[in-house]
Amino acid sequence: MLCIAGYNLCKSYVDSDQSINVLTDATLEVETAKMICITGQSGCGKSTMLHILGLLDAADSGRVIIGGREISSMMPEAPQIRNSELGFVFQFHYLVEDLTAKENVALPMIIAGSSSVVAQKRASELLSTLGLASRLSRYPNQLSGGEQQRVSLARALINNPKIVLADEPTGNLDPDHSAEVWQMILQLNKQREQAFVIVTHDRESARLASQTYNLAQGKLSLLS
Amino acid sequence: MDKLEQFFFLRYIKAPKRNLLRFSFVFMTLGIVLSVAILSAGLNLFEGYERSLKAVLLGSFPHITIQNTAESYISPIEANMLTTKLTRHGEVSSVLPALSYSAMAVGESKVRGISLTAYYSDGSTALPFEKYVSMGNKQLAKGEAIVGKYLAKELGKSIGDTLKVVYPQLDKISALGIFPSQRSYKITGIYSSGLYESDRSSVICTWEDAQALLGISPGFSKLEIRLQPQYVDSAINVSRKIMNRLGSEYYVYPWTTFSSGLLGLIRMEKWLIFIIFCFLVLIAGVNVISAVSTIILDKKNEIAVLKTLGASSASIKKLLSYQVGLVAFGAILLGQILGALLSLFVEKQGFYKLKGDVYFIDTLSAAISPLNQVLIFCVAALLVTVCIRYPLRQIDKLQIMELLRNP
Repeated sequence: MLCIAGYNLCKSYVDSDQSINVLTDATLEVETAKMICITGQSGCGKSTMLHILGLLDAADSGRVIIGGREISSMMPEAPQIRNSELGFVFQFHYLVEDLTAKENVALPMIIAGSSSVVAQKRASELLSTLGLASRLSRYPNQLSGGEQQRVSLARALINNPKIVLADEPTGNLDPDHSAEVWQMILQLNKQREQAFVIVTHDRESARLASQTYNLAQGKLSLLS
Repeated sequence: MDKLEQFFFLRYIKAPKRNLLRFSFVFMTLGIVLSVAILSAGLNLFEGYERSLKAVLLGSFPHITIQNTAESYISPIEANMLTTKLTRHGEVSSVLPALSYSAMAVGESKVRGISLTAYYSDGSTALPFEKYVSMGNKQLAKGEAIVGKYLAKELGKSIGDTLKVVYPQLDKISALGIFPSQRSYKITGIYSSGLYESDRSSVICTWEDAQALLGISPGFSKLEIRLQPQYVDSAINVSRKIMNRLGSEYYVYPWTTFSSGLLGLIRMEKWLIFIIFCFLVLIAGVNVISAVSTIILDKKNEIAVLKTLGASSASIKKLLSYQVGLVAFGAILLGQILGALLSLFVEKQGFYKLKGDVYFIDTLSAAISPLNQVLIFCVAALLVTVCIRYPLRQIDKLQIMELLRNP
């Protein structure tokens, strides 16, 4: 069953009066509980593809379908869909510096309308399952890079989204922490049956995914 | 306040050191504290000045004055009858028959115009000048006088000296010209009301001495009415009631006839100063705009993440406004406290005094009125709120993608 899909996505940027076509006719279908990796050279449009699918950016043309419904980032319900249907993990963890790990993880639930107490309880449970039970009250600057990324992963998962979109989740980590995060993503994908769309440079790790796509000249092609 | 706003608001309160004590808030806080302190001190001092002047005016002058329209004098029998009538009014506290005339006081080489006043009292009512006798004896005997502080100073007189008072008797002109009447009094007390004009011109003597000087048969030039404190501000209404009761034979003047213009002018000056000092708060608001702009720049990644996670721009604007607002409102309160301390210091200090001939009174005093404090807080809070909200409009224009691409 399809949980997210992008059809014939086109996107171009204007840079110094020159139009750069990043996506020309990119199509991607992601089924429930699948793990998809998108690889490609730097600047080929991987992140743009992910941002369009995550309703953070609008395509020049093409369609995005989430949960069987066509939607775009310009629609007023886009923030609510980002909150409940999608989870995001970025290369830079983007944790709120003035909040503890537990509070950071609780944010999406609080935005969705849950009380702070309920959300923080759920955040504690989730962080414990990710091995961060002893780091609940630490601030981001008191955590290691791997721990920060795990907190960011927990934040993406707390609302039980159907799809998790990860943009270079290990791009900023050393090999040990990187492996640790990949293992965690694989485990979560299996346990929770959530679809993962991961943009990565790491071809080795990308092989762990159900399907791997390569993005080149604005188009996606299936590698494996 | 939605759940997210509530969560951040409580977070700011629970961990103020981490969330509110930021370097970017230092100049904003200082600006607000100082401007509000100046505004508050200015208003406190003007309020104190207005109240002191009013208190002195109402303490030294009658609240209502009654004069005969037909005759120059009110006879003792008439005065007695009027006193009985007037004391029946619940608003009236006391009625005092008095003689009050302009005369001249003569020093060694100086002559000054004075206001000679004498009261008739059976001893049951405290005389109005008694509370202002700063030196010497409050009680007057025949041949004694109490003299205003500045008058005594100008004439070089002090307690125990003799003061010569001359009354021209312009209504008694003989073929040989005007023969002024004169008497000498022993100064037994110094009068200091704080009202410069009064302290520079008052001479108070006994009723009998005043009659002898003026050369008149027993009588009074006026009746002075003092009202119960709660009716002082409605003296106009009370005087209308008295006028209706006494009929057209008497003039009835409330204190506002002589002093309302002066007090109105001071009140107007007070509010002008308030408006001018409000501009200082507005200037401090520029620091608020700068602090909010800085915080938006500092937190642009967090703003992008909150937007990504589904928070609305309106919610994010509120979160930041609570953070800056808590600091700014705290600074307003701090400014008010500092302003109160500053005005109390100005009141207590001894090195600067008002010029009595310019400002009517010579003492600086502060009055911290709760109503004024609420007004200062509301106006400062309104200005600060506008200055917080103005730069927050940038958040609507921030694109998530721009922020995430340029961390």
